[in-house]
Amino acid sequence: MSLPAGIRNYTYAEDMAIFRTKTHWFFLIALLLVLFTAPFWFGNHWLSIANRIGITIIAVTGLNILTGYCGQLSIGHAGFMAVGAYTSAVLVGRLDLPFIVGLLGAGVLAGLIGIIFGMPSLRVKGFYLAITTIAAQFIIIWVIEHWTSVTGPNGIMDVSPASFGGIVLKTITSEFYLILGITIIAIFAVKNLARTRIGRAFVAIRDNDLAAEVMGVNLFRYKLTAFFIGCFFAGIAGSLLAHTSRAISPDYFQFKDSILFIGMIIIGGLGTTIGPILGVVFIRLLDELVTQLSPTLQNAFPDLLPGFTSGIAPMLFGLVIVLFLIFEPRGLAHRWQLFKAAYRYWPFSY
Amino acid sequence: MAELLQYVITGVSLGMVYALIALGFVLIWKSSSVANLALGQIVLISSWFAYGMLAQAGLPPWLGIPLVIVFALALGWVIERFTLRPLIGQPILSLIAVTLGLAYFFEGLVGIIWPKSLASLPPLFPQDPVHIGTAVIKQEFLWAAVISLVLFGLLSLFFRYHKSGIAMRATADDQMAVQACGIPVTRIFSQSWMFACVIAAIGGILISSIGNISKAPLVETGLQAFSVVILGGLDSFVGCMVAGPIIGLAETIGGGYLTKLTWEGIKEVIPFVIIIIVMIIRPYGLFGERRIERI
Repeated sequence: MSLPAGIRNYTYAEDMAIFRTKTHWFFLIALLLVLFTAPFWFGNHWLSIANRIGITIIAVTGLNILTGYCGQLSIGHAGFMAVGAYTSAVLVGRLDLPFIVGLLGAGVLAGLIGIIFGMPSLRVKGFYLAITTIAAQFIIIWVIEHWTSVTGPNGIMDVSPASFGGIVLKTITSEFYLILGITIIAIFAVKNLARTRIGRAFVAIRDNDLAAEVMGVNLFRYKLTAFFIGCFFAGIAGSLLAHTSRAISPDYFQFKDSILFIGMIIIGGLGTTIGPILGVVFIRLLDELVTQLSPTLQNAFPDLLPGFTSGIAPMLFGLVIVLFLIFEPRGLAHRWQLFKAAYRYWPFSY
Repeated sequence: MAELLQYVITGVSLGMVYALIALGFVLIWKSSSVANLALGQIVLISSWFAYGMLAQAGLPPWLGIPLVIVFALALGWVIERFTLRPLIGQPILSLIAVTLGLAYFFEGLVGIIWPKSLASLPPLFPQDPVHIGTAVIKQEFLWAAVISLVLFGLLSLFFRYHKSGIAMRATADDQMAVQACGIPVTRIFSQSWMFACVIAAIGGILISSIGNISKAPLVETGLQAFSVVILGGLDSFVGCMVAGPIIGLAETIGGGYLTKLTWEGIKEVIPFVIIIIVMIIRPYGLFGERRIERI
């Protein structure tokens, strides 16, 4: 652990605490204050972006458990998110169950579907697993598109807003608080999960699964647990997406979103808690920047090709993913560590 | 009966093209253990380039198609030199992710340069339909099958007798030994990418002369090629040859007969269902090498 000089621990609990110094606590409280008062600072446009960021953080955090900690590559995470979204929409919309049941049901069903498609991970890995999860993505979306008796014409469904008891979360501010709360719970759950027996078993499997098995880690159980947890988070994110965007269609959960999720954890930093957050914020803000800038550029330079506005975003994302892999495979999380170290040792660089 | 014959012929022809594209994948996998998930996007971008040459610039095929091949060679070289070579020795996750990044990049690039969603190549083959028995087949299918077969033959001869072909096979077998013999392994990687891109480009031209040039079907061609390599075995050329027509037949026959029994569009998921089944029963494929892992 990197700590400032002069910090000593006298008990185990102190040694294991996540927040160790007064500065940690100060920044945590400041961050939470800023987040919880955000609706007063930002307009609706930025709040809706914040909502999308929050939902994506939940999904990508799940993917990070699966890929970053356990080393099982999944390129079908948008598909699992779709399972969650439609489960929740059907449970709440068609069966009139409370929102909280829909939310948890979405997570559990997405997790179970994840286990089914994760089964081959017991025998195959690397590219084979990547292809299996790609297949999962396409099969799931295809089923959603064609099972019209449940998912509506072409899989397009209207969804009611989230509600607790009699309180209906209709405004964007209330949605923001819902998503913020769940995101914080998810991040803390993952941070702690990574420090338990399960998390350590995941890391052992990632580093060398045969060695892990020899050490007594039950591969069957832990790989499927990783798939369940990873897809559970995706399901929760899907449910939130459904209930905040009020309508869902299979277009929200495309294969390219799955690729983008992988890109986000790579840009953020695999197997770190802060990585998914940084990666998601980076990509979403880049997305926003491109959306804002490209019409202006298009007007300023009429010579630009007509497809510039629609094509520039995917091109940039692809480029960013490739560049990060080549120049900073440890992601933004590593840069953040370096920054913190530099700040801690300032003005002496050693 | 006429229906079945038609399905069989079109299925086998399509399958041959898939097998051809899949061959490019196997080539790269064998020589450098990189899984090229941008295969469909390479097919896409070279088909659009062919459209640019043949339709937009109006070049005759004898000039346009060699230009496409030169473009594909350049594309392969650039991909290998600037994205894969810096990553030699990195974990497999990075290698897979970098090709995914490339896939994203190419899709965006195609969107910028050719914003149209649909186009078609000028006819390259005679247009009159052929009557075989009771079936009526577009001539393009037969040409595609013949060209794929000829290319297969040429490639097998190349790998069997030519010096670089032998070097490629040797690299696939044992990189260390090859380096010890004084063969530059990076050049072999580069060559395998160039080859794979050329094959993908030819496959793209064949596929888009059968149908149209549009994003979804061409990217799906790449996915079908994945199901071919999974079924045939990742490291087997023969596997491609056998699995290609199987996937093609499954697509046309399954698509033709199952649509009435199940939901519409069952054709789209057949390759993926095959992938899942193969993964569960026989992950190394029909002809793939069974590996025993050690710590």
